[in-house]
Amino acid sequence: MSAGAPAGAAGTARPGIVGARVQRREDPRLLTGRGSYTDDRKAAGAVHVAFCRSDRAHARIAGIDAAQARQAPGVLGVFTAEDIAAVARPIRATSNMPDYRATEFAPLARGKVRHVGEPVAAVVAGDRYLAEDAAALVAVDYDPLPDITDPEEALADRVLLHEDAGTNLIAAREFARGDVDGAMTGAALVVEDRFRIRRKTPAAIENRCYLAEYDAGRQALTLHGSTQVPGLLRDALAEIFDLPGHRLRVVAPDVGGGFGAKASLYPEEVVVCALAMRLGRPVKWTGDRMEDLTATSQAFDEIVRAKLALDADGRMVGLEADVIGDIGAYSIYPWTASLEPVQVVSFLPGPYRIAAYRGRVRAVATSKTPTGPYRGVGRPVSTFVMERLVDMAARRLALDPAEIRARNLVRDEEFPYKAGSGIVWDRAGFQDCLRMALDRFGYAERRAEQAAARGDGRSVGIGIASYAELTGIGSRISAAPGMPINTGTERATIEIDSTGAVTAAFGIASHGQGLETTLAQIVAEELGVRVEDVDIVHGDSAAVAHSTGTYASRSIVLAGGAATLSARSLREQVVKAASHILEAAETDIEMRDGVVSVAGTDASITLRELARAFYTEMRRIPKEARESLDLSASATYDPFFGTTTAATHIAEVEIDPQTFGVAVRRYVVAEDCGRVVNPMIVDGQVHGGVAQGIGAALLEEVVHDDSGQILTGSFVDYVVPSAAEIPDIEAVHLDTESPSTLGGYRGMGEGGTIGAPAAVANAVADALSGLDIQINELPVTPERLFRLIRNTEGNEGEPRHGF
Amino acid sequence: MERTSIALTVNGVRHERKVEPRRLLSDFLREDLGLTGTHVGCEHGVCGACTVLLDGDSARSCLTFAVQCDGASVRTVEGLGEIGALHPLQESFRRHHALQCGFCTPGMLMTALDLLAKYPLATDEEIRAGLSGNLCRCTGYANIVAAVREAAAARGDDRP
Amino acid sequence: MKPPAFEYVAAESVEEATARLAEYGDDARPIAGGQSLVPMMNFRLVSPAVLVDIRRIAPPDAIGEADGHVRIGALTRHRALETSPLIRDRFPVLAAAMTHVAHLAIRNRGTIGGSLCHADPAAELPAMAVLLDARIHVARRNGERIVEAGAFFEGALWTALEDGEIVTRIDFPLLPPGTGWGFREFARRHGDFALAGAAATVTGSAGRAAEVRIALFGVGETPVRAAAAEALLTGTGFEPDAVAAAIDALRNAVDPDDDLHASADYRRHLAGILAGRALGDAWARAGGGAA
Ligand SMILES: Cc1cc2nc3c(=O)[nH]c(=O)nc-3n(C[C@H](O)[C@H](O)[C@H](O)COP(=O)(O)OP(=O)(O)OC[C@H]3O[C@@H](n4cnc5c(N)ncnc54)[C@H](O)[C@@H]3O)c2cc1C
Ligand code: FES
Ligand code: FES
Repeated sequence: MSAGAPAGAAGTARPGIVGARVQRREDPRLLTGRGSYTDDRKAAGAVHVAFCRSDRAHARIAGIDAAQARQAPGVLGVFTAEDIAAVARPIRATSNMPDYRATEFAPLARGKVRHVGEPVAAVVAGDRYLAEDAAALVAVDYDPLPDITDPEEALADRVLLHEDAGTNLIAAREFARGDVDGAMTGAALVVEDRFRIRRKTPAAIENRCYLAEYDAGRQALTLHGSTQVPGLLRDALAEIFDLPGHRLRVVAPDVGGGFGAKASLYPEEVVVCALAMRLGRPVKWTGDRMEDLTATSQAFDEIVRAKLALDADGRMVGLEADVIGDIGAYSIYPWTASLEPVQVVSFLPGPYRIAAYRGRVRAVATSKTPTGPYRGVGRPVSTFVMERLVDMAARRLALDPAEIRARNLVRDEEFPYKAGSGIVWDRAGFQDCLRMALDRFGYAERRAEQAAARGDGRSVGIGIASYAELTGIGSRISAAPGMPINTGTERATIEIDSTGAVTAAFGIASHGQGLETTLAQIVAEELGVRVEDVDIVHGDSAAVAHSTGTYASRSIVLAGGAATLSARSLREQVVKAASHILEAAETDIEMRDGVVSVAGTDASITLRELARAFYTEMRRIPKEARESLDLSASATYDPFFGTTTAATHIAEVEIDPQTFGVAVRRYVVAEDCGRVVNPMIVDGQVHGGVAQGIGAALLEEVVHDDSGQILTGSFVDYVVPSAAEIPDIEAVHLDTESPSTLGGYRGMGEGGTIGAPAAVANAVADALSGLDIQINELPVTPERLFRLIRNTEGNEGEPRHGF
Repeated sequence: MERTSIALTVNGVRHERKVEPRRLLSDFLREDLGLTGTHVGCEHGVCGACTVLLDGDSARSCLTFAVQCDGASVRTVEGLGEIGALHPLQESFRRHHALQCGFCTPGMLMTALDLLAKYPLATDEEIRAGLSGNLCRCTGYANIVAAVREAAAARGDDRP
Repeated sequence: MKPPAFEYVAAESVEEATARLAEYGDDARPIAGGQSLVPMMNFRLVSPAVLVDIRRIAPPDAIGEADGHVRIGALTRHRALETSPLIRDRFPVLAAAMTHVAHLAIRNRGTIGGSLCHADPAAELPAMAVLLDARIHVARRNGERIVEAGAFFEGALWTALEDGEIVTRIDFPLLPPGTGWGFREFARRHGDFALAGAAATVTGSAGRAAEVRIALFGVGETPVRAAAAEALLTGTGFEPDAVAAAIDALRNAVDPDDDLHASADYRRHLAGILAGRALGDAWARAGGGAA
């Protein structure tokens, strides 16, 4: 990171484009219905795919009879595994992590189906209505196999999901530091429990959608799709179809939310590409909600046994955890199935000082939808577990939950701090966030009000959750364990064209984060132009030579860094060109708001004039000088390690003591997300993340029946929170610069979802602290509370008096 | 399947088309008329992304057949403001950062327009209840509530 | 999720609608607001060969009073019930129930006839019909009949209607003066179908409950009247013991199912809690029996 000197050192007098509440550039088109999402794109002669999907959780395919479907009106063809295998090379999510077993990626099921919703056959017809009619006519003959739905039972390997793996244990890993056994035996207090978080699905409001077009003349394939990772997909598809990158382009136009669900390679993407080449016509698949809820990657499905040891002063001395991750049927490309469960053990020690840690994780295949990245990846689970343990310990030690955290959060002078799992935290406001959150929440007064409410028979609870996460990670650390692709760099190219317009091209793919605005802010500030002068190109694999995309709270750190580097070098070029044109020393050239001037004089030219002088009026700059200049600059930024983001959340809930309905009344987040590019956008990210976390804590759950059928196949049954279930969320920011990234930015896209399940769970536990029950399973639905409370009352009768 | 002729007005423009009876209004608007501002997120009435005004009242275009709209007047998000001349409600959404990915936004706007026409929206609770039939996965709703609150206050004396 | 193909007929009169329905037999279905039928078609759970659109067979939103009844046309939309001054005055319990039905965009289209005929066990309007002893007017080709609400709902999504029959009007007999009401339901998300709900009316007389009605929904195949509980409370002054006995009786009488959102036990529990609250509200609104 040559130019990557800590930004804090690089002068603080900033013109203030970065840090301003700049209105979003993307809004006018999205507000007026003039956005362009994949399904909005029309391609002449396009045909539509509907998939015949497995209605079994685990079965051998004895035969597929597509004769009737082929005869159905408007049908162009019905395709199965062999048709795809003929043109697509196999691909597997590999990893150099020991004890990991990659599973085969078959775009259409081959031999067996392993989850309900798995695509078995692709039916192509003139429109989606006809394709669906015909898909219903495909008759698949299944030989049932025993289901593998319980992850703990699956570990016994009595039935194998992937015979060639020889086991259902797809990945395993252990972390250990310090003398955990000694810490446990010597501790004044050990708290422990078995925690369970139930499977979630990201449920972006735009369902997945892909449109593949093949140009037979150029032999070039273009895939438009609702994806967060166009560059990553381009590279994967290049391998699968053996095409060079310049004949393969993946474009993410406007994308209606992703949250991780659109960050992996999907069977449907491969199928539409294969069929577009085979049929020589544009092929589109527009997924529907049922397909989304059964065939888009799911997440947060872990069982965690954990133990925390403390001394008599409430200082943490040891932590031990055993994690079983239910990864579903396949190891997702490229992240692998270890992504989520390994993160759970890696992040379990949280932002605390704990000398001894041992964590074990086992990722188990089951006959359910594959899991993949979802906002927070693993950390919503690790934070839920750790923060519950912390509150359980506080209660046993009669310490205030705020106090026990203050005693154990890593202090400023202890950074960089190496956690028991090997994660190194760089300086971030762990303690400051706790203090700020308590302050903003009005903690002391609220506790008094809570006591008064209890006196009136009301059940009010306050829950705190503190966490830290690694964001903007560079090439030193893989985004997923042992993954053979580079997720640690991003590239930018900024160009001034012959009209003087500035275009900055990136490989990241904004899908709600407002990166067209924030990256323009960074470019504008570094270059010396106005925000509206900069056009941001993104979401297009053709825009830069290499990129993976937008996920893992990386885009502002990585693409922002690349923007900074390339804007700085472009500015040097502009200054050189201007010194020729304005006949002044380079050191006297200034550029502001797109006007280049000579300091202390009224000599100035606009960027447009400068561009004309450079590209068109060939006598303005001497040939030799011109040839060594370029009004274009590219740079790749690698934060190498990345940085730390930290936060404390505080939630207040009230529980109806008779119906067990839980209402979240107040919510405060104090966050250290480094230098804030646009506070309006940052707050929006926090709000959205917290809302997803509240959903995860109280409402959302993918439910299977005993035979592996998904019962939550609609938005009626998979309950995403509405405006009525989410309170106003107050966010406060520390606004310090990260010492480890160019620009001082830290990633912050996921944090809301990381802290909220824990804070809400703690608040619910606090509200019910008069009862002898444990909140160790999420979502904590009214039904679960009812059962918990009835069981403590020790009878099968009604908990008629509430509590 | 036999097609039926229908004539309807969309954003003030009259259209005559032949449609298959099963064609959903959402698909008719998006595919047949090219008005892709109306989005589809579930096709079972829950997400609200497809909400349009049908004869002045908000309605789910995914739960309405185009044939049922013969003679009707439909307003979609394209019938509000334009880039450079946003409708005040759109302005308010922009000012309050009430959209992120923008996918739910057209449905939110059309719903909010109808709520503003029909309800006092005197409290946040009422606004939140009114918006509860429109799911947004990005914003956490607070900014949408703020945008609608401001629009409600700006209605002046013609409020219901 | 696109609906299967069908033939569409827009009927202009009750006669035409019933004639067409009779002609096509069980291949045909009426469609009113479409707010329950179209989701089922989009999921391909039902695939009628013919849809007979009945929206134009009668003027929309017909709500009037005659002969001691409030008469509501089957095509009256939820939104009209929600806002009707007559309903608010005569049946405030029904007006209150409407605020729990779905969302504005759905209330703008959904009709009372559609809601009753769809017969979702957790829907509010069927429960109101049962609570208020509604009389459901049914037409078929060359004939008419009246079905009492108590006999109309036969099972989940199952009514006493026969092929070719449509509901044309629902009559709600007026309540005696001094009747208090209560309506409570519990849903996980605003506007969703309730996990359970209860509605009650209490007509007071000299400190006693002269008439008590309790309807429960979401706790069985159909909305039900809690007859035993009603009997236990009639004539009482709503003393705590009397109420507790009624709640016990009502919990014993319901037979909810387990499903994904709630167990039978929890639903039974909720039924008691919500009925208790609805009864309390109704008793208070009836003047606590003071009248
Ligand atoms: C997201 C969502 C949430 C909802 N939430 C609720 C809720 O909380 N509570 C609630 O009660 N409802 C709810 N509903 C259902 C809504 O109230 C429906 O509008 C209503 O149940 C059906 O009325 P409709 O006119 O739309 O009927 P349609 O959908 O047109 O028809 C429903 C059924 O009744 C038949 N039918 C319709 N009219 C007649 C008639 N006059 N005679 C004979 N048969 C007829 C049809 O053939 C069909 O079988 C919800 C719907 C949605 C989409
Ligand atoms: S698409 Fe119509 S409500 Fe979701
Ligand atoms: S802004 Fe993305 S769903 Fe609402």
